[in-house]
Amino acid sequence: MITKFQIAYKNLLRKKIRSLLTLISIALSSWVLISLLGFNQGYEASLNKDIDNMGFQLMIMAKGCPYEAATLMLKGGTGLRYMDESIMKDIVREPEVDRITPIMMSAVFDPNKGESGGISAYFGVEPKSFAQMKPFLKFKQGDWFTDENGYETVMGFEAAELEQREVGDVILMPEKNVQFKVVGILERTGTQDDGTIFVPLQTLQKIFHRTNEITTIGIKLKKGVSSVRLEEQLYKLPDVQIVSLEQVKDTIMKLISTAKIMVLSIAVIAILIAMVGVINTILTSVWERFQEIGILKTVGAMPWDIFELIWIETLILCTTGGILGILLAFILAGLTDMAMRFLLPYAPGGGLVLIDLKLVVITLAGIIAIGLLSGIYPAWKAGRIRPLEAIRGEVGK
Amino acid sequence: MQDKLFRPLWRIGCVVLLLTILGPAAVWGAVGCDLNDPDRDVARLFPESTGYKTIYQSIQKKGGERLLATVEKRLGDKFRGLYETIDVPYTIYEIFSGKKKIGYIHGINQKGQFGGIQVFLVLNLDGSIRGFYIQKMTSQYAAKLRDARFGKSFTGLTLKDFDGYDVVSGKATGRVASIKNPAQEAEADFRAALRATKKNLILMDEFVFSSR
Repeated sequence: MITKFQIAYKNLLRKKIRSLLTLISIALSSWVLISLLGFNQGYEASLNKDIDNMGFQLMIMAKGCPYEAATLMLKGGTGLRYMDESIMKDIVREPEVDRITPIMMSAVFDPNKGESGGISAYFGVEPKSFAQMKPFLKFKQGDWFTDENGYETVMGFEAAELEQREVGDVILMPEKNVQFKVVGILERTGTQDDGTIFVPLQTLQKIFHRTNEITTIGIKLKKGVSSVRLEEQLYKLPDVQIVSLEQVKDTIMKLISTAKIMVLSIAVIAILIAMVGVINTILTSVWERFQEIGILKTVGAMPWDIFELIWIETLILCTTGGILGILLAFILAGLTDMAMRFLLPYAPGGGLVLIDLKLVVITLAGIIAIGLLSGIYPAWKAGRIRPLEAIRGEVGK
Repeated sequence: MQDKLFRPLWRIGCVVLLLTILGPAAVWGAVGCDLNDPDRDVARLFPESTGYKTIYQSIQKKGGERLLATVEKRLGDKFRGLYETIDVPYTIYEIFSGKKKIGYIHGINQKGQFGGIQVFLVLNLDGSIRGFYIQKMTSQYAAKLRDARFGKSFTGLTLKDFDGYDVVSGKATGRVASIKNPAQEAEADFRAALRATKKNLILMDEFVFSSR
């Protein structure tokens, strides 16, 4: 015996082009919606990973305008402000602090990098305290340097790959013409560390004539403590600024959220427009089958049967369109990722579009729900058709 | 009040600072051997060009272990180390003037004394060198090897000229022997540049010219 589902399906196939166009509109708006929701998830997950991979929750930097510093750095100067190492003694005494590590960032201009040169950046670190902050760093070759005053270097994976360096090779710091022996190459982490060249802190301080000066202190907090009191205390230190990486993350997310809301609104509007298309398609189909529906009622179909029939057509269109849109999102996830990286001023490492089963189910359920709502009016209209009027051929009353 | 406004602004500024300068990865060029700015570089290296097409190849894709063995035999040296592997992607730029193909640009990474050397060859359709360009090199004497006068000494050379060049010993015959090292203090990098040139020509022969 033929089912209502089969009747509904065959009805949709009677007007293939119209059904296909409606399907495409639902698929496209579903693709946009799930891609954007996937971007929401993926961006936050990647940003969390980037921030977590920094290894510390707070950073202290010398007071100064960071915009100016960033600009100067990009132009080839150091541009950074420095602080005296001695403030570390005050910080380590605080009860919330688990451990700290000093860092000095410096850069030189390399005229032989490309047509117009480029900058090469170096991180001066204390290997013992820095490694404790980032226990997840693994070595592809070698290990950390042990001589605090030595001319040795540990390179991030991509930095080493670009320079074709292995343990035992030598690198040259341009401008200063200082050589370092490669003693370690890190495994790929997918973070900024991949492009970093680490050297002993004291060595870098000596090269740049910055004895006892550093640019950053990384602070790891004890588990479960709040950083609020500590931040207020640290602000009392002279000539320093405090950066909580959790708040950096919040700031970035807030910056992105306005754009996200706007774009999500557009996606929702696209869905609603597609649903208007569904209403139009189903209503048109109902008017075309006015007499047919009248005959169905004459031979015993109840209003609810007609309502169900029409509603099932809507369900088929929305479900199929939704699934197609989700498949499209999976296939084009890479392209969406590339487009986002191109458009955004900052994109963390890792995938930006994260579409998981939960998101698929929620999106599909949402599309079907909106679709079913859209289908209520045409189905109700069809259910209300009077058999005699329909058979007499009076349309639209 | 001012402090409440200032702190968020400062955090945003720190984000900018962190994400530009804590990201040395951002200042490194592509890890493969691509032109840093193909639109600009192709126009400079091939002034008569109107466009280009980018093709990616690898020894693994083209012929696998057998091709690797062939390339190593022709080079006279084994592929070495962590980075000179069978799956390295090579970028070949096909250069066009209108619809007509007029040449190629191809670059490879080569281990130098203090860092990677990116050597690009600008080739005519017959495989002869029309230009030699070191995009990146780390050395106190890099300027001498990147000088246009040194590059000119490669003009007109073909793969056949490099048949007599031993990349291991550095012994050269014929036209390659007449290429003079402009930086005696950087002998290792000079030989690396020659090895890179020979390897570049062999790969282009295997990827492009032999297939035609």
